[in-house]
Amino acid sequence: MGVDFQNVIEGLMVSIRPLNLLWVLIGGFLGTVVGMLPGLGPATAVAVLIPITFGMDPTSALILMAAIYYGAMYGGSRSSILLNTPGDGSAIAATFDGYPMSQKGQAGQALTISAIASLIGGLFAIVGFVLLAKPLASFALRFGPAEYFMLMLFTLSAIVSLSKGNMVKGFIAMSIGLILSTVGIDLQTGVHRFTFDIPQLSEGIDFLVVIIGVYAVGEVLYNFIGIDSLGSGKKKVGKKWITKEQWQQSKWPMIRSGPMGFLIGVLPGAGGSIASMLSYTTERQLSKNPERFGKGAVEGVAAPESANNAASVGAFIPLLTMGIPGSGTTAVILGAVIMLGLRPGPLLFENSPDMVWTLVNSMFIGNIMLVIMNILMVGLLVRILDTPPKVLYPLILVLAFIGTYTLSYSMVDFYILVIFGLIGLAMKLLNFPIAPLILAVIVGSDMEQNFRKSVVSHDNYLNIFFASSVSTTLTIMTILSVLYPFFLGWLQKRKQKQA
Amino acid sequence: MRKWIGFISVLSLLIMAGCGGSSSGDGEGGAEFPQEDIEFVAPASPGGGWDGTARAMQKIMSDEGIIEENINVVNKPGGSGEVGWQYLSGQDAHHLAINSSLVITNNLLGQSELTYEDFTPLGILTTEWISVAVPPESEFEKGKDVMEQLKEDPTSLKIGVAPGLGNNDHLSFVQAAKEFGVDIPKVEFLIYESGGDVVSALLGGHVDVATMSVSEAKEQHNAGKFNMIAVSSEERIEGLEGVPTWKEQGVDMVFPHWRGVMGPPDMTEEEIAYWDDKISEMVDSEAWQKVLENNEWQSFYKDSSESKAFLEEQTKNYDELLSESGLTD
Repeated sequence: MGVDFQNVIEGLMVSIRPLNLLWVLIGGFLGTVVGMLPGLGPATAVAVLIPITFGMDPTSALILMAAIYYGAMYGGSRSSILLNTPGDGSAIAATFDGYPMSQKGQAGQALTISAIASLIGGLFAIVGFVLLAKPLASFALRFGPAEYFMLMLFTLSAIVSLSKGNMVKGFIAMSIGLILSTVGIDLQTGVHRFTFDIPQLSEGIDFLVVIIGVYAVGEVLYNFIGIDSLGSGKKKVGKKWITKEQWQQSKWPMIRSGPMGFLIGVLPGAGGSIASMLSYTTERQLSKNPERFGKGAVEGVAAPESANNAASVGAFIPLLTMGIPGSGTTAVILGAVIMLGLRPGPLLFENSPDMVWTLVNSMFIGNIMLVIMNILMVGLLVRILDTPPKVLYPLILVLAFIGTYTLSYSMVDFYILVIFGLIGLAMKLLNFPIAPLILAVIVGSDMEQNFRKSVVSHDNYLNIFFASSVSTTLTIMTILSVLYPFFLGWLQKRKQKQA
Repeated sequence: MRKWIGFISVLSLLIMAGCGGSSSGDGEGGAEFPQEDIEFVAPASPGGGWDGTARAMQKIMSDEGIIEENINVVNKPGGSGEVGWQYLSGQDAHHLAINSSLVITNNLLGQSELTYEDFTPLGILTTEWISVAVPPESEFEKGKDVMEQLKEDPTSLKIGVAPGLGNNDHLSFVQAAKEFGVDIPKVEFLIYESGGDVVSALLGGHVDVATMSVSEAKEQHNAGKFNMIAVSSEERIEGLEGVPTWKEQGVDMVFPHWRGVMGPPDMTEEEIAYWDDKISEMVDSEAWQKVLENNEWQSFYKDSSESKAFLEEQTKNYDELLSESGLTD
């Protein structure tokens, strides 16, 4: 597809109209705020805004809702870094090194680098969008049940192999997550599994409740145990701007993760969680000193942040080129624009190129606005660390409950939240890695359904793993990622022997 | 002094609130209905058809001045409508909920105690029609061809449907298949989470045939990305004149995917009459026509008494189809 640059320029002109700039600013700010709060994610924020978009011009509505979406990617990492409580699946990877950085007194720098990484990821994705939207859309269609299953299996194996020296615990955590993901109606047969006649459980356990419970509530409980020994003195927040060395360390990880996150974002249903996890594990495996990861490595913050923002832009490709929502948030956005009389479909690019390019340009402007906004806010946000625990932790609890309620307006979720808070506490005390559990809950049910669909589609079971070039590649990568830690261990032993 | 002013104002507020509570709560005999804010329950998350219907009703009834009282929309997702409807069953006539065939099939499938008879049907508002689609390069040119192939070998085709067995998209396919004598329990349905997933599965060639609402398939069909080969409507659909109905293909079937509204059980006749009045006024408004057009819904209005008869007839049909498809005994 040749890109008509005249359309691109015209789109730019529309997107810099003052009113549209205002929508981008409002959307980006709102997105950042809801992204920061545990449980309140972009999907909720967009849903709440639907009535407001009723009177709006469809293009402006789309600009506003898109800005909320990628704004939340900027905001999501804030609470991951400062409080170890991610607000959404795609912000989990930012806790791995972001929180250790902030404990080391580098909170300001972690926040700054994550904003810059988001910008770089976002810009890569926008360029990718302009040049490759259509070919990528048809590439994404080649992902059938077998390919999705392998992608998810690969992500899970990558995350388990991450818990080095602790792989058994990582595996146990993942298995618990997979078990939890079977709760609810089984799509293929319509059978209710482990729902105990509670209708609220029939759609499964919302992974966001699990995230809020295990991270936010678990973190509060964990700190509560040691609250008397917590020093009330001011924690160091360190410098705000990053050092030259940090930039050197994170430059390539950000540049690599952008395109990678973008590609994963294009796949309907994969999304920011998988993108950020995979980019984190990739960087760790590429790193010369992987032992720095998990202890506050700056590239461990930069890579996933670049990837998840790129994924959020990529998720618009299936929506705008084919009318297929690629993520929970884009599904809500699709619902909203249909109400406005717009019908994203395969002809949207042909019929209203102006609108598509206005949106893409607004994303470009929005990303620049957001990086400025987020860096300016760093000084304000690090003060959260000065808040006395007695004030901060009850506040987090309140936010956790509010966030949970907004997911499906049901009290049942509160019980689930508390149960997962206790599970989170136990996992922290027993030193279990949390990420494999969460990731398994996020992808588990899709993974199972895709597996079952591919068994039906392929008469020979083994064909699932080698059904296409995509799934063969993913199979090989999965095997490698599981064997990699063992290989590394073997290499180290040999070195020691030689020495 | 300030303290006292504050205290007195709080006190007076409390008294006012108390009065308000008692006058609306007891509903003194003869008082006009409605006496308080109206609430529409969308038994699903924001963004879907139920939510869209509730929000469109809210907007039109307020904007056109059909209802003076405040109208709120609440989302109660979960259990394929079960959570929202259970909530409704404990409310009074100020609360309505959106419904669809699930209010019947949940019960038939043994997933719910509630049926439409546990509520007061107030109206059927809209319908969508259901289509069968195949990839453009497919050998099948008509719905009939698909069915004949399935009759020969029920496992030879993979059929994509969302979001669960026993829903309209699935059952309309079952009804057509039944007419051709297909061994339905053997047919291989692949169930996807949403209509969008079914569209991408068909575009990517991961299923051979898909059944989905016309609105989901229309854009793709017009772009030549796939080929719609049957629709469940009475007559050919505007804008899709090239697609034959099932009736034309020798299957005596019209299969709507309707949405309606219902109130809690035990509503008085005045209350039912009030809602019949208001809903019919809304349905006649120009704004409602615009909503239908934007969402590609068709008008399917039936008032409260017609709705009741319609639901009864639908229950019979669904019961038969579910047992035909092997989902119930």
